[in-house]
Amino acid sequence: MHQFVFQQGLSGELQLFPHIIEIGAKKNQAIHLHSFPQSVSACIRIYYINEGKFEWNVADESYILFPGDVSLVMPNQKFGSEKGVLEIGSISWIHIKIQNHGNNELLSGKWSSLSETESQAISKVLLMNNMPVLSKLPEVGRILRYIHDEILNQEIGYSTRVNQLIDELLIIITRHLTKQNNRARDFPKVFMQLEQALRQNLSHQWTVEEMAAIAGMGATLFNEKVKNYTGFTPLNYLINIRISEAIKQLKKENVSITDIALDAGFYSSQHFSTTFKKLTGYTPSEFRKNNFSQD
Amino acid sequence: MKCIITIELGTNAVRVFAFDLAGNAIGSQRGYYPTFHIEPDYSEQDPDQMFITMLYALKNLLNEYIHPKKYKVASICFSASMHSVLAVDKNGNPLGNAITWSDNRAKKEADKLKASALGKTIYTATGTPLHPMSPLMKIAWIKNNDKERFRQTSKFLSIKSYIIKQLTDEYIIDYSIASATGLLNIHKINWDGDALKFAGITSAMLPDLVPVFTPLGKLKKAYQSSLGLPADTKIIVGSSDGCMAILGDGVKGEGRATITIEDSGAVRVMGDKVLKDDKQRFFNYLLTEDRYVSGGPTNNGGIIFEWFTRQFGDFKNPFDIEYSMQDLITEASKVSAGSEGLLFLPYLLGERAPIWNANAKGVYFGLNIKHERKHFIRATIEGILYEIYSIGKTLEEHRGIKRLSINGSFANIPFCTQMVADIFNKPVQLRQNFHSVSYGAFLVAATEMGIYKNLDEAAKTVVLPDEYLPEKQNHNAYMKYFKIFERLSIKLAPEFEAIANLQ
Repeated sequence: MHQFVFQQGLSGELQLFPHIIEIGAKKNQAIHLHSFPQSVSACIRIYYINEGKFEWNVADESYILFPGDVSLVMPNQKFGSEKGVLEIGSISWIHIKIQNHGNNELLSGKWSSLSETESQAISKVLLMNNMPVLSKLPEVGRILRYIHDEILNQEIGYSTRVNQLIDELLIIITRHLTKQNNRARDFPKVFMQLEQALRQNLSHQWTVEEMAAIAGMGATLFNEKVKNYTGFTPLNYLINIRISEAIKQLKKENVSITDIALDAGFYSSQHFSTTFKKLTGYTPSEFRKNNFSQD
Repeated sequence: MKCIITIELGTNAVRVFAFDLAGNAIGSQRGYYPTFHIEPDYSEQDPDQMFITMLYALKNLLNEYIHPKKYKVASICFSASMHSVLAVDKNGNPLGNAITWSDNRAKKEADKLKASALGKTIYTATGTPLHPMSPLMKIAWIKNNDKERFRQTSKFLSIKSYIIKQLTDEYIIDYSIASATGLLNIHKINWDGDALKFAGITSAMLPDLVPVFTPLGKLKKAYQSSLGLPADTKIIVGSSDGCMAILGDGVKGEGRATITIEDSGAVRVMGDKVLKDDKQRFFNYLLTEDRYVSGGPTNNGGIIFEWFTRQFGDFKNPFDIEYSMQDLITEASKVSAGSEGLLFLPYLLGERAPIWNANAKGVYFGLNIKHERKHFIRATIEGILYEIYSIGKTLEEHRGIKRLSINGSFANIPFCTQMVADIFNKPVQLRQNFHSVSYGAFLVAATEMGIYKNLDEAAKTVVLPDEYLPEKQNHNAYMKYFKIFERLSIKLAPEFEAIANLQ
């Protein structure tokens, strides 16, 4: 294995890839002080263990990683070795830049061939992730090696190949992440996790693809399971949550109806008003008036 | 053509059914709502989400089955889970979430009252076992531990009371739900002074008491128009799910018991007298002024077999628990009654009747080197049903039971139904098609309309088509193991406590 580190701004090799902040591979044969201190970065950082056993700290939790394991570090999470030391062994890694796209944080930019909805879904799942270690995912090691090779060899078509490989890397990690979370047995538990994710980010314009990705299944199976379990389609179930959250806010006098609408995930107060009236028979302001009539 | 709609506010979901006046189901809808466990002993539900889910499911049912076929909705009748508590302020707005029956935060309040002489007086008067499930304990907990909420509370409602308040603007509670609060004197049918004092409230802080038939005020105009229902649609308060389940199975007097097994379960009998038990093992709830539903609840019903399936099922397709359960049951059927000596105590969630031990745990007992996975499967199902039998057996100390009827998703699995018949050594009847709870609500609404003279006449019309007959040989095998099951459940009490302290 070649050892190398390319860094954005310092290494010409990365000129065509502004979204790669750093990429490298290292075979560590001796322990040096301060070789792997804890640090914070605005990128998403992915590390893969080829050989050895590493004790790393992610967001103040300690993890032991073995060959085949992947560490997935979110932006602004503290990451490194508690003792500041890199253990003996071999690792490879990549740091990818996050783009801001309106209110959404996106992992993939123009370079990516992911569609916009896919890209949003993948970003959503990865950025919401609270599982810093993915176990037994040798595909990540393989893809990182291919990316290294492409960048080093610069054969014809390499810039397209590198970007495709990064897409593949993100897809594989996302799929593994959602599946590691559950063993495809406990749908009520998966659904409860989804419910929490939806409530935590209710103003987001959720798509069925994103919801399905968080639940770790394909959209077809997801639709069927949700309909079966809740009696509603995923989007109608989401409307239930949006309206019941809005009702709670309407009972507080000091919040404006437009704010309530947007916080609950409606496009506009008009959209909120129509949906609300269809279900309850009241417009939001009538509903609010009724609930304070006794004052 | 007229129809009757029933709305069942269950533990995990609302079920809405439409019936024609002959009692045939013409449509149904289901709407799930989540239970939140923000702390280990807490179980809460969002009352507004329940209301919206109920409205949505009702609207879908009307649009799909009722309006296109020009049915006229004569009445809407409610049933709901027992024991829920929701504090509301002077404007009727919820102060926090509703606390559901499975919430155990009031353990201390329950233990304290149970250990006192006052406890016995209150149990005898109210018929509700002294347990954290009871709203009496939950209100006392709020008084002791959430003083700010208690101070702001204008009324303590049940979930059904809150939903009905949204629809008709009335604060009411029916006899059945009220009789499960631990606050109602079931002999005099008024709020019990001792219980109110223990909870720290006055009767003005509770909704108005009404019989289950009571037609309420009109549906608010806004809902008339959003649902497309005429102003003369009757809203009938209805009863609790427990009382409706036994009524829906056509039980009207002595000699019969109903077994319900969903996630949790219960064995119930009906009679015109309260069932008195010195050991305080049973509940006594009111269906009407002179009809008591008595029995015992278990925490560990179908949910235990679901747990087992998730751990040990095959899951050939992702999340396909129904298929995996069916597979396990096929395997279990290859083992003879008694699981060749493997015995299971199903108390994974602690237990209520008859042992009333919150620390009880699950146990596999009698394991030997010849036992295989199939023995575990069968033993697990047998254990769940031995627990049901242990409730039935204590009930039989007071009432003769000749026949059983059975309902609920777990009990409806033919393998389980046959096993119940064998263990109890009694014939078991069941209805496959729909929910006994909703059918009970239909009977209440139809009786209110004058289709039946009274509930006894209504119950008489219930026909349960399928009957399972007991096999004596299996019964004898089960009884040998049940004796050990019964002894272990008591003998292990100190060890249950010891391990609970470590968990």
